Amino acid sequence: MAPVKDRNASAWLLPPVPGTNHAMRTDMAQFRDEDEVDIVIVGCGAGGSTLLQRLARAGWKAVALDAGPFWDPERDWVSDEAGSHHLYWTEPRVISGDDPVPLGSNNSGRGVGGSMVHYAGYTPRFHPSDFHTYSTDGVGADWPLEYGDLKSYYEDIEGELPVAGEHWPWGDPHSYPHSPHPVSGNGELFLRGALACGITAKVGPVAITNGRFGNRPHCIYRGFCLQGCKVNAKASPLITHIPDALHHGAEVRADSMVTRIEIDDRTGKATGVHYVRHGRSRFQRARIVAVAGYSIETPRLLLNSASQRFPEGLCNDFDQVGRYLMVQGAPQTAGRFESEVRMWKAPPPEVSSEDFYETDPSKPYKRGFSIQTVSPLPITWAEHVAAQGHWGAKLREYMSDYVHWACLGALCEFLPQPDNRVTLASEKDRNSMPVAHFHYSQCDNDRQLMQAAQGAMEKILKGAGAEEVITIRRFAHLVGGARMAADEQHGVVDADCRSFAVPNLYITDGSVLPTQGSANPALTIMAVAARAANRLIAGGPSKAT
Amino acid sequence: MTALPLDPKDGGGRFPGFDAQGQSPHWDPVTQGVVLARLGRPTDLRFFTVAEEATARALFDQLLGQRHEPRVPVVNMVDARLAEDQTDGWHYEDMEPDPAAWRNTLAELDAEARERLKRPFAELSWEEQTLLLTDIQAAETWRGRQTSRVWSLWTRYACTAFYSHPLAWDEIGFAGPAYPRGYKNLGLNAREPFEVADARPTQDPAAHTAKSQTGRQR
Ligand SMILES: Cc1cc2nc3c(=O)[nH]c(=O)nc-3n(C[C@H](O)[C@H](O)[C@H](O)COP(=O)(O)OP(=O)(O)OC[C@H]3O[C@@H](n4cnc5c(N)ncnc54)[C@H](O)[C@@H]3O)c2cc1C
Ligand code: SF4
Repeated sequence: MAPVKDRNASAWLLPPVPGTNHAMRTDMAQFRDEDEVDIVIVGCGAGGSTLLQRLARAGWKAVALDAGPFWDPERDWVSDEAGSHHLYWTEPRVISGDDPVPLGSNNSGRGVGGSMVHYAGYTPRFHPSDFHTYSTDGVGADWPLEYGDLKSYYEDIEGELPVAGEHWPWGDPHSYPHSPHPVSGNGELFLRGALACGITAKVGPVAITNGRFGNRPHCIYRGFCLQGCKVNAKASPLITHIPDALHHGAEVRADSMVTRIEIDDRTGKATGVHYVRHGRSRFQRARIVAVAGYSIETPRLLLNSASQRFPEGLCNDFDQVGRYLMVQGAPQTAGRFESEVRMWKAPPPEVSSEDFYETDPSKPYKRGFSIQTVSPLPITWAEHVAAQGHWGAKLREYMSDYVHWACLGALCEFLPQPDNRVTLASEKDRNSMPVAHFHYSQCDNDRQLMQAAQGAMEKILKGAGAEEVITIRRFAHLVGGARMAADEQHGVVDADCRSFAVPNLYITDGSVLPTQGSANPALTIMAVAARAANRLIAGGPSKAT
Repeated sequence: MTALPLDPKDGGGRFPGFDAQGQSPHWDPVTQGVVLARLGRPTDLRFFTVAEEATARALFDQLLGQRHEPRVPVVNMVDARLAEDQTDGWHYEDMEPDPAAWRNTLAELDAEARERLKRPFAELSWEEQTLLLTDIQAAETWRGRQTSRVWSLWTRYACTAFYSHPLAWDEIGFAGPAYPRGYKNLGLNAREPFEVADARPTQDPAAHTAKSQTGRQR
């Protein structure tokens, strides 16, 4: 494998102090709407930015539009919880079902860098078993590719972020480019409790620099990863892929909300995208269109792009768009210790265990869960306490005890189900486009996993000496909604992320995942996008048209 | 500003002399601007009507146990969020978007007080208000809505405002922003020079409750 700097020089293109290389942005390429670019990418998050960087390096005329701003971390981000509200996608959305999933701050980001701007920073790989759960376990789905098809892309991206952690014994065992970070009180208790219960726990894997990387500094352990890392220590595409893309001639057009993909009804091909920028409606022509707007906005955009040829929504001939949307069950269990833990010090992502990841034949449920440290800041912690029913003086008393609590989170592999889906609501956004309606209900297996995960976390915390434990049931990480499959009757795109219905339309974000494992998804989303980019490059800019 | 009043039995005074805003010279200027603004004059009310304001003030005082001045100006902070539509965007299919949900649930709360005790919610005694809210919280549904959704709306906004305030941080031992300085002393019982040890580490609020509790996010 070539050294990272020769494949992706982003970290070397940043200034040597925290901040942004402003000249790169002002000098960036600017394509005109009338230019037929090689590719227009909708969304500049995990998937979109990776694709952009790869194609720009290969010499493609590539432009990525993002609905949100082109962040300037020094100016736009703060080291404060309530002051970070603008990082989230807070456009209107409707939720329903037996277990409706709150969105907003807990689920999706906006602006260049996407949700990774405020993600925690865990970057585990999926296990080989994730790619064929249907054949092996009779649940979920089989991917049209296997772990081996992604392995080299995982390695590439781990080098580019870069990822720090101990040698990883689970799934396909591997090691990481950066050594594990020192742990805080929270991580210490997880390791101690796991040891006491005979559970293996390891430090990592986190996309946070441990030592200097290019011009990116070492993490300063300040704990505000979910508020955007002002230090440039935590990876997000804004600093890991966008600088290199710009350097190779790509354009990033921020503040551009794509409202519709245009299809030529005669040829059946995409011709570009309609978008709104600074209040004006515009149209960017392109030879290829790629959508990477997150698991809610991607299906919404396809459904909003109905045409004569696709009356039920783009790529929706087989009623697959928006379906099989998944969330991970993400209960958080906290334990009370007489020692001071001060869990907010150090990054929330520190230590994980994947001991419960795979199907355990002795259990009544299929698939499993992982356990990780999470370290809520005061507002999120107050939500945890309030969820127990406490308010008034009792809430204040619990909160005054904040220094004594440690907190773990689980990620449960909830199964993909056809009726968990995005449709269009009657409500409209400020561009007069129907907003997304997300309907979600759990199945029995999901509930059993949630219960089992809570039990395991309680055991670990008590093993570490916790006096009491309290749990909040919640969800995290949306993926699916335009999944990849072997054929058009079971999914929207093929293994190369190319849509079955439109030969020059690609989807390269978390929407394409057919299953989710119990791993945090960002690394896999980037690996899938990097693989799609390779396929496109092999085909050449004109092959798809 | 002096500390928020909090009875020692409710966790007051556990971090003697601890002063989060005293650390502000160590914060970056953008963060200083955002956080210190919360200590300035509260913004005038723009969203709540006069009647809603009265109910909202009483409700927030109850939810956060704020019985005396100085208070964190929660009603102004929530009003500003709603006036600017600074919500999370999503809403339940069977509930209004947050601004309308706030107006309607405050009106319902007031109506409930008038029906039961013939007075507006804001005119009830502290104990009467507490009892009324305790009843509401205990029921599965309340005035045609799932109680948990209403309760979560109320507590989410209340807690977000209250625990964004440096005076609230003082009582929980949290020093607030940490950039560009960061932390140097990680680990159990490890403190930075500016952190203050809990003076009453055995005051465990969970000691007399069930050893394991569960709630859910709404
Ligand atoms: C609090 C939190 C913590 C998380 N922690 C982790 C973690 O530790 N590890 C992990 O792996 N994952 C984590 N995640 C999830 C992870 O960030 C996402 O899964 C991932 O970023 C999704 O990638 P994506 O490419 O699908 O979309 P995104 O990264 O969200 O990118 C989508 C982009 O598209 C833009 N967009 C959307 N619609 C349009 C449109 N119509 N026109 C123009 N632009 C549009 C958006 O503005 C956004 O920038 C976390 C998420 C949250 C919310
Ligand atoms: S803890 Fe480290 S990675 Fe997280 S925000 Fe702070 S400096 Fe960045």
